[in-house]
Amino acid sequence: MNTLLSMTKRNIKLFFKDKGMFFTSLITPIILLVLYATFLGKVYRDSFAASMPDGLIVSDALINGTVSGQLISSLLAVSCITVAFCSNFLMVSDKVTGVSRDFAITPVKKSTLSISYFLATLITTLIITYSAVLIGLVYIAITGWFYNVIDVILILLDVTILTMFGTALSSIINYFLKSQGQLSAVGTVISAGYGFVCGAYMPISQFGIGLQRVLMFLPGTYGTSLIRNHSLAGVLRQMTIEGFPVDVVEKIKDSIDCNIYFFDNKIGIGVMYGVVIGTIALLLGINILINTLSKKRKIS
Amino acid sequence: MENIIQIDNLVKFYGKHKAVDNLSLKVKKGDLFAFLGVNGAGKSTAINIMCGVLDKDSGKVVIDGKDIDKDAKIISREIGVVFQNSVLDSKLSVKDNLLCRASLYGITGDAANNRINELSQLLDFDTLLSQAVGKLSGGQRRRIDVARALIHKPKILILDEPTTGLDPQTRRNLWQVIENLRKKDEMTVFLTTHYMEEAVDADYIIILDSGKIAAEGKPIKLKTKYTGDFVTIYGASEDEIAKLQLPYEVLGEGIRIQVKNTAEARDLILKHPDLFEDFELVKGTMDDVFLAVTGKKLGGQN
Repeated sequence: MNTLLSMTKRNIKLFFKDKGMFFTSLITPIILLVLYATFLGKVYRDSFAASMPDGLIVSDALINGTVSGQLISSLLAVSCITVAFCSNFLMVSDKVTGVSRDFAITPVKKSTLSISYFLATLITTLIITYSAVLIGLVYIAITGWFYNVIDVILILLDVTILTMFGTALSSIINYFLKSQGQLSAVGTVISAGYGFVCGAYMPISQFGIGLQRVLMFLPGTYGTSLIRNHSLAGVLRQMTIEGFPVDVVEKIKDSIDCNIYFFDNKIGIGVMYGVVIGTIALLLGINILINTLSKKRKIS
Repeated sequence: MENIIQIDNLVKFYGKHKAVDNLSLKVKKGDLFAFLGVNGAGKSTAINIMCGVLDKDSGKVVIDGKDIDKDAKIISREIGVVFQNSVLDSKLSVKDNLLCRASLYGITGDAANNRINELSQLLDFDTLLSQAVGKLSGGQRRRIDVARALIHKPKILILDEPTTGLDPQTRRNLWQVIENLRKKDEMTVFLTTHYMEEAVDADYIIILDSGKIAAEGKPIKLKTKYTGDFVTIYGASEDEIAKLQLPYEVLGEGIRIQVKNTAEARDLILKHPDLFEDFELVKGTMDDVFLAVTGKKLGGQN
C-alpha cells in the first residue's frame, strides 16, 4: 500500500511539475473559452432567442443562465476527457525516457504501477475539473443562478463519473503507445477532436442525422448529456415556473443535447448513468485483462 | 569462493536473430566482473534476462542460489543497476526520486530517509538532495544513479557503461566509491564498459561477440594469450628498427615494436644493446586483446 501511495504521489507531482503537459491538457478548454468569448456565446444566445415562440417574454437572467450552462457543461465534458488523457500520458513518457525499465527491475508488481497511474490520473483530473466546476459556478452566480443544492451535487457526480470514464479509456489507449510520436499524435487527435465529438463546439442535435446516430454509439455522448442536463436543470425548471409551454421546453432540451435519442428512442437519465457506469466497468475490466495478459517487455 | 551468478547455456532469440548464443558464465561473490563486447554483442540482453525484465528462450540463470524462473522477485532485491543513461525523473528532486525508488522495494518512512542519508554521506550528495535531477551536472547525476542502484543494499551491482560521457576526474572518483563499496560490503560488481582501462582491474573478463563468448579469463592471462609484449624505443631511427624485421609502429617520439613475449624482448635487447638505450617494455592493452579476439574496436568500428 505504501508503494502504491508513493508511486501515485510521484505521478501527481510529475504532472503538475511538467508545465508543458499541464498546459497541453488545458488547450481544448482554453480554445472553447476563446471561441465562446469571440462568437460562440453570441451564437448560443441568438439561437436560444430565435427558438422562443412569439409573444413569450424571456428575462436576460434566464437567457444568460442558459448560455452559461451550455458553456460550463461543454467545458466540463471536454476537460474530463482531455485532461485525463494528458495526465495519463505519463505512463507513455515513462516508457520513452526509460524510467519504466527502472521500475521493471524492482520487485514491484505491474498491477501496482498500473493502479498508481490510474489513481494519479483520476486525482489530477478531478483536481482540475472540480476547480473548473467551482470557477463555473462562480461565473453562473454572476450571470444567472437557478441551481439548487441537488443540481450542484449531480454536476459534481457527473464530472466524477465522466473523469473516471476518461481515465479508464486513456489507460487502455495509452497502454499501447510506446513513442513520443504516437503520444503527440494521440494527444493532438484527442485535444482537437473530442470537442467536436462530444458536441462542445456545436450541439450534437445540429449535426447530420447519420453522424448523430454514430455518436450515440459513443459512451462519452451519454456522459456529456448528463452534464448538460444537470448544468441546465435550474434554468429549465425556471422556464416551467415562468410558464413556458412544455413542448417549448422539450424543444430547447432537444436543441442543447439534454434530450438525446438512440434511433428515435429518447434516453432517460437513468439509462445514461447506466451506459457510462457500465462502460467504465467494462474499460476497467479490459485494463485488468491487458495488464494481466501482457508479457514481459522486450528490451534489446 | 562461492558463485553469486551462474548462467548455463543461455539462449535468446529476437525473431530469427540469435542475440545470446549458448552463453555460460560464473561470477564469484565480491568479484569485479567485466563483460565486454561491441553494441549488439548481447550484453544488454543477458543483463536484462538476469534482471528478470526479459524472458529467455532456454538455459538456466541462477543468482545467489535462486533460479530466475522461480524467484525473479527475490532476485530483483539482490540486484542494483546503473543504466547507461540516467533513468531518474529529471523534474523531481534527488530526494523525491530516491524516496520513490526506495518505495518500490518496500522501503518507506524512516527506513527510506535513513538509507538516503547514509548514501548521501557515502556518495557526497547531501547538498544536492533538494535539487531537481535535471539540473545536476553529468558527474553529480551519475552519483545519484549509483545511489538509486544501492538504495536497497543489493548484493550485486550491475554497471552498464557507467562512466560513458564522464570526464576523467569524475570517472576516477566514481570508481573509488565503487571500489570502497566492494571492499566494505563484499559487493559483486558486474561491469560493461567501453573504457578498456576500467576492465584491466577486473577479476575476470568475458568478451562477447555475436552473442557468444569469444574469450575469457583474468586480464593478465588474456593479455599474455592474445597480445604479446611491446617494446617502445626512444631515440632510434625508423630505418634501424626496420632492420629488426619485426612488426612496429611509429608513436610520436617513439617506435613501438611488437614481440611474442618477454623472453623475446629480453633476447632482442641483449642482441642490440646500442638500439635499446632508452626504452620501455609493456604488456599489450585490453584494447589490443579486444581487437585480437573480435577483430573489432570497442565503439563498433571494424
